Amino acid sequence: MSRGREVLGYVGAALALPVVLAVFLGREPLSRALAGTAGLRISPLFTGGDVATIRDHGSYRTIVHRPVFLGLLRQSRRGFVQVDWEPTTGLPWIISEEVSGLDGGQAGFRIRLDTRSGQAVLGPGAEAGQGLESVRPRDGGWTVRVWLRR
Amino acid sequence: MHPWRPGLGRSVLLALPMALLTALLFFRGPAAADPFQGAARALVFAFFNAMFFLMLHTGKTDRWRAAGFIVYAVLFAVSFISRHIESRGTVVLTEAVWFKGGFPFCHILIPMTLLPAALKGLIIFPSTILGSPAAVASILLVWIGVSLTLGRGWCGWGCFFGGLDDGFSRILDRPVIKDLGARWTDLPLAILLMAVLSSAAMLLPTYCMWACPFRVMAELDPPTTLGNVAQDAVFVMIFLAFIVVLPLLLKRRAQCAMLCPFGAFQSGANWISPFEVRIDAGTCTKCRLCIQGCPTLALTDEALARGHSSATCLKCGKCVDLCPQGAARFHIKGTAPDASPELARLLFLYPAAFLLAAMANGFAQDGLARLLRLAATGRMW
Repeated sequence: MSRGREVLGYVGAALALPVVLAVFLGREPLSRALAGTAGLRISPLFTGGDVATIRDHGSYRTIVHRPVFLGLLRQSRRGFVQVDWEPTTGLPWIISEEVSGLDGGQAGFRIRLDTRSGQAVLGPGAEAGQGLESVRPRDGGWTVRVWLRR
Repeated sequence: MHPWRPGLGRSVLLALPMALLTALLFFRGPAAADPFQGAARALVFAFFNAMFFLMLHTGKTDRWRAAGFIVYAVLFAVSFISRHIESRGTVVLTEAVWFKGGFPFCHILIPMTLLPAALKGLIIFPSTILGSPAAVASILLVWIGVSLTLGRGWCGWGCFFGGLDDGFSRILDRPVIKDLGARWTDLPLAILLMAVLSSAAMLLPTYCMWACPFRVMAELDPPTTLGNVAQDAVFVMIFLAFIVVLPLLLKRRAQCAMLCPFGAFQSGANWISPFEVRIDAGTCTKCRLCIQGCPTLALTDEALARGHSSATCLKCGKCVDLCPQGAARFHIKGTAPDASPELARLLFLYPAAFLLAAMANGFAQDGLARLLRLAATGRMW
């Protein structure tokens, strides 16, 4: 047993309690620092991605997110764009809206949503590769995702 | 060599620093306005400190660790399930709730999250990055600290699920299935590999979505399609098999030894931790009590011959408690094999017991407060 390794072992063992104390007692500032350093963010598969535009229609608003083409090493060829309408109380029964000017130059589309039944359809001008990925109610509104292709 | 049992006065003195440190954690911030929460806080504080005192005073580690660990897991389950039912009104997890986000982050997700987080900064789970003790950054921080110090001790002292299979593994006096090959410890490695690769490819938490037995705790899919029903049946079967039936029959922590991908991943952290369990060949009589008792098959004849437990060791201290010769000991790496095992045990016990109390702090308090409220008013919330 070398003396150096022995000292290192005791130092490591003695530091164990201070380290565990630090991560619990200093949880808030340390976790902020960790999140900032690592640049962590929740995957847009769950958040819908960054917001690109918000359109105010008076009693309700439309939130168009940036198109998402997620891939681990490079962007995938297939992605989606998320559109939210809120609040539920201000929504008309039928929403028919043109979504265009998407970041990345993808073609726009027209979408028609029945807010009572949750039925949605894409307009007749939809490009190949575009299609409804999902329609789901969310807190205070509706969310629709439309498939896109690069 | 028999365990060191300090007298009452010395045990109190040794337990005092832990009481002060846990008091800092439990009682900082404003006093609880809810009387049930206040009572639960005091009871949980007293309970975990009593367990630590008994570890010191009796010289037994696992006996008191297990009591604390099992109580923590049960109260966690009470808190987790009732909170979900309270907020959603149902035990199922709808797609709308899933995409609403804000879920508590679970450490089992960590190995599946690391690759997308390292390459893209992406967390592939609908949680929050900051803002609560169960947020991603907070759990990652605690995991880093614990991995560096206690290694896979996380699974023996910190995991909020581990106490469930630990509890079931202690119900029968003798195992029904006695010989279980150590090769079973390779299964979680295979599951880990599949989970990491599929999660990286799909950028989704695949193990969590398809195989996690703890989805039975108020996170089942709504039974609206045949696929969902089949998926829920898988969750229930895995839960029953690995958390209830196999631990009962094997008297081992089957989920931790044979399924959990996080456990397999965390075994690697045992290389970093300064603590290990050593078997003194000169004292060992090869009675095999430690091999029979090890909850994760970390002790085998080969491990005994090597003189230390294998990487799957949870540092629960069961073998140390079981060994009639005192041949199984906590040890600090790099020091002589016969270096003071009591000092090594003490230096290990403080951070490990603090981890248990700190992890239990919020969950156990909330779970107990809900049970106290249920007993007093007939309502859990």
